[in-house]
Amino acid sequence: MSFREKLLDLKRRLSDRKMYSIVVVVIAAVAIWGIYQYRHAAKLRQMLDNQYNRSFYEMIGYVNNVETLLVKSLIASTPARTAATLQEAWRQANLAQTSLGQLPVSQPVLANTSKFLTQVGDLAYALNNQNMDGKTLSEDQYKTLEKLHGYAVSLNNSLNDLQAQIAGGRIRWGELESKGPTLFRRTSANLPAQQFENIDKTFQDYPTLIYDGPFSDHLVTAEPKGVTGDQLNEDQARQKVISFFGADRVESVDNAEKVDTDPIKTYTFTVKFKNVPEDQTASISVTQKGGHPFWMIYNRPVNEKKIGIDQAKELGRQFLESRGFKNMVDTYYLAEDNTAIINYAYRQENVTIYPDLIKLKIALDNGEIIGFEGKGYLSAHTERTIPAPKITLEQARAKINPKLQVLSSGLAIIPTDYKTEIFTYEFKGKLNDKDFLVYINAENGKEENILMIVNTPNGILTM
Amino acid sequence: MNKFRMAVVIVLILALTTTSFYGGKYFITSMSPALFPGSSGDEVKRLQQSLKNWGYYDGGIDGRYGWETFMAVRDFQSSYGLKANGIACRNTLMAMGLSRIAQKGVAYAAPQRISDEQLLARAINGEARGEPYEGQVAVGAVIINRIRDPKFPKTIAGVIYQPGAFTAVSDGQINVPIDSNSTVVKAARDALNGWDPTNGCLYYWNPATATSKWIWSRKIVKKIGKHYFGK
Repeated sequence: MSFREKLLDLKRRLSDRKMYSIVVVVIAAVAIWGIYQYRHAAKLRQMLDNQYNRSFYEMIGYVNNVETLLVKSLIASTPARTAATLQEAWRQANLAQTSLGQLPVSQPVLANTSKFLTQVGDLAYALNNQNMDGKTLSEDQYKTLEKLHGYAVSLNNSLNDLQAQIAGGRIRWGELESKGPTLFRRTSANLPAQQFENIDKTFQDYPTLIYDGPFSDHLVTAEPKGVTGDQLNEDQARQKVISFFGADRVESVDNAEKVDTDPIKTYTFTVKFKNVPEDQTASISVTQKGGHPFWMIYNRPVNEKKIGIDQAKELGRQFLESRGFKNMVDTYYLAEDNTAIINYAYRQENVTIYPDLIKLKIALDNGEIIGFEGKGYLSAHTERTIPAPKITLEQARAKINPKLQVLSSGLAIIPTDYKTEIFTYEFKGKLNDKDFLVYINAENGKEENILMIVNTPNGILTM
Repeated sequence: MNKFRMAVVIVLILALTTTSFYGGKYFITSMSPALFPGSSGDEVKRLQQSLKNWGYYDGGIDGRYGWETFMAVRDFQSSYGLKANGIACRNTLMAMGLSRIAQKGVAYAAPQRISDEQLLARAINGEARGEPYEGQVAVGAVIINRIRDPKFPKTIAGVIYQPGAFTAVSDGQINVPIDSNSTVVKAARDALNGWDPTNGCLYYWNPATATSKWIWSRKIVKKIGKHYFGK
């Protein structure tokens, strides 16, 4: 049958009355389905737009509050009032940052705005803590706050401009992320992102080194204390890797890669083992200076558990000692899927030094070390001169909430958010069936930190 | 002709019925579960917490259905006019408002809270399924590094669901459930426990498929598998 005949045949069939009604019904059904889908999609689109609008309007509100609170903190005269104001500024800045992360604007465009909000929050938090101790703002801190307030004002203004455009219907969120025809995108979608970019430019020149907070840049790039020794070349580093795993086990050490960007400069190798399937390789990174192990990952299937956690802790300690990490004591652990992750801290003169942290991953089938993580140790480890505590154990104990039943005590050095260290008394205690660790500053008796110990079937963790 | 008509009718019926099922819920009837002496686990913990809140129980929340729990359940049952046998049967659990335990089938059919580990594992699965293990840990580490960086949101969910941040989120691959024995779960765990093969990187991209010009302005730190990692 030729095509023409087929068409004629179709025409003849369509003129059949029953057939005609069927075709009409089918078309109607498809149309109904189409309308349903269209309305469904439109509803979803609207819901999404509403979400974006909500985040955006909330962010404007929060930024507005941050600006007001910053200026109030400049005016407040008592440390207590300043502390209360700054605490609220910290909260509002965090909320603003959360809302910002929900907007459909690409991350690089908003990176500096986000950073600004985080730093305002962190500075407010740090100053709040200082003010709660009764100290007033120093002249420098006052100037910093003043400057941050200035940036907050300009952010506020740009956001209000943008809000006017969005409210006026000139910018739609959908256009921002729609993957429609390129032409459409070129004309409309670039516009809102550019608006946001203009906001971000305000912060381009904003100094990154404003204060010593958790996110302060100079602390991240600080010289790691534990990386000591001579600069090694690739072959010397390879020898270090072989002695780390044991010369009798290693088949080959390949794929050296030199990483120079981090404060901890490293060589990374891929290690093949004897009598082990080809694809089960380990990756290890050692420092260029001294060849200290930085991290190691060895992914192999772990068979049925044969050794207990106490035995694993001891095996890990022996391993560390034989690799030159002396005086390491286990602190917390987590056991899952026949592997245990055990934290070891350095101990010097009966003081547990938590910043000098090494994590080992141990396979519980044969006790082999299948993971090593030594960033904490390499960043912080050094022989410290530990002073005698200024307050006695009894004085420190008196500072603890009397409801806590103290089980044990000792001395410890703990890290702070600001990458400094505090010398403390560590008390382990019980309240309402829950175990806690309380840290009392050994110099001034201040309660520095409280951790809750979570005893799970899988291990001991802190929160 | 008749066959054709039948086919049309069947298609129509199917089309209409399936649309009416949209948004419908499926209920699974429970298998009359009960908690009894010797039971253990999170459900017993919830039972103990409820009994403790109402003053029937003053032991520890240890998730073990022991003597004290037994006595507490019995006290509860007698004061609520239930059969005081010390076994937390379906009726007792319903009376306590612990219907999630009572309707076990429904509880497991409903979407459960996805822990950070599972969320991270899903992201790694969507982004780096075919990569070597080290590359999977690296992708997880980038997400963790972002949490600590002021330029990004501060929670795992915030970072992963940031609009446009990960293609696996945009195309819905993030919703693929992961088997808990899968290597991506191990990789997620390692990343959460602090292993970072990227030395602190915040970005990664596949040089073969990356479309953003901006991403090439990043400083390349290292290459793992198919991905470049950078700051």
